[in-house]
Amino acid sequence: MDLATMIPELLSALPLTLAIMFVAIAVGFCLALIATTFRVYRIPVVGQLADLYVSYARSVPVVLQLFVAFYGLPLVSSLVGLGDVFSANIASMIGLSLYHGGYLSEVMRPAFLAVERGQHDAADSLGYSFRQKMRRVIGPQAVHIALPGYGNAIIYLIHNVALVMYIGAADLMATAHLIMERDYNQYQFGTYLVLAVIYSLLCLVAWLIVRFFERRHAKYSSKTAPAKVRFTTSL
Amino acid sequence: MFDIDVLLPDFWSILEAVPVTLAMAVLIFVLSTLIGGLFALVEYRRIPVLRQLVIVWKVAFKGVPMVVVIFLAYYGLPAALHAVSSLLSIEVNAHSLPNWVIIIVALTACVSAFQAEVVKGALNAFDGGQSDAAHSLGYSNGQLFRRVMFPQIIVSAIPDLANSFMVIMKALSLAFAIEVVDIFAQAQLTAALNFYYLEAFAIAVLFYMVIAWVVTKVADRIESALRVRT
Repeated sequence: MDLATMIPELLSALPLTLAIMFVAIAVGFCLALIATTFRVYRIPVVGQLADLYVSYARSVPVVLQLFVAFYGLPLVSSLVGLGDVFSANIASMIGLSLYHGGYLSEVMRPAFLAVERGQHDAADSLGYSFRQKMRRVIGPQAVHIALPGYGNAIIYLIHNVALVMYIGAADLMATAHLIMERDYNQYQFGTYLVLAVIYSLLCLVAWLIVRFFERRHAKYSSKTAPAKVRFTTSL
Repeated sequence: MFDIDVLLPDFWSILEAVPVTLAMAVLIFVLSTLIGGLFALVEYRRIPVLRQLVIVWKVAFKGVPMVVVIFLAYYGLPAALHAVSSLLSIEVNAHSLPNWVIIIVALTACVSAFQAEVVKGALNAFDGGQSDAAHSLGYSNGQLFRRVMFPQIIVSAIPDLANSFMVIMKALSLAFAIEVVDIFAQAQLTAALNFYYLEAFAIAVLFYMVIAWVVTKVADRIESALRVRT
């Protein structure tokens, strides 16, 4: 096993992994924002649909979600009248965005609800508009509460990007399999160890970034609100 | 493109995998909770060397995706077992280790790192004054744990434990990589026979959501039943 040639080859697949990850982070955040709004304000039909979406994203294994996206999207596109536009990369981006959005919604909702009712009332009585209230009063406090859970969500997303190889996206894992097979599967254990180190480093970087923001946002912590919202483990 | 007629045969075919999946999930759940509980105890009591080892374990198994851990166990565990057995001079054919044992070991290792967190959170929620009170009443450590601590920490841990059971159910879907058949794998096998992939996966989604719903409901029921006493 030649680490000097293997590591650059593995890293050449890193951009795709990162691209899927960043798309999922961005789209998932928007989805989570929308779903959380519907769920928090209990908008009749849409709220229940958002609940269903979140429980789909949280209770179905990510591999299965990816497969559903991979086989389901062509069905959707043929209904709409589009051609066959979904490659494995696009399907994995959409599948992971849906997963991440549902997971994140379950981080945002408790964080939003953890901000005291009195803060809403105080902002309302001072004549803040809805947008001002969210931007200046509720937002900063909720962000502070949600950040640890958001860090967890990002780390789980990084773990789950490793699964896109099953629907045929040529990410880190798939490249590692190629390398192993070229060596007649002699060095599987070593190659997976290298992969483990790469993924650990990715998680470490993500965790450091989130912790930086956590420290910066510490000044917004409310003194009367419950100190810690507990975020549970999930895949 | 979406054929309603295959849904029913697919349903019965995938149902066959449900008991096996649940059995494996329960086994992993029990083992990882026990190991995670030990880890939490080590951190709670602040036992010197063991504590650092637990932290290393947690960092390792939380940072690495479960697929990678499963593959590592698949290729590393037989060799490791072989080395240990030859060291102890026992004749074991480590390479005939069944795959479901490997998946159980790998997932137990992963999940125990998370379970330690759950148990630690429950332990931290326990009021220290109560253990002082119990000691002043002459309770031994074992009695304190059995009669005062355990009934309280189990109640506060139930939602998290239900959640981690679902995490295990979901993680088992990765077992297909090393040819262990669970609900998801059974869906794939069923679909491979008749090429109706989306239909089989839709049924599998249904199974997972129903199981998650049942687990949540049961956990809520147990929690509210136990909550009365405290």
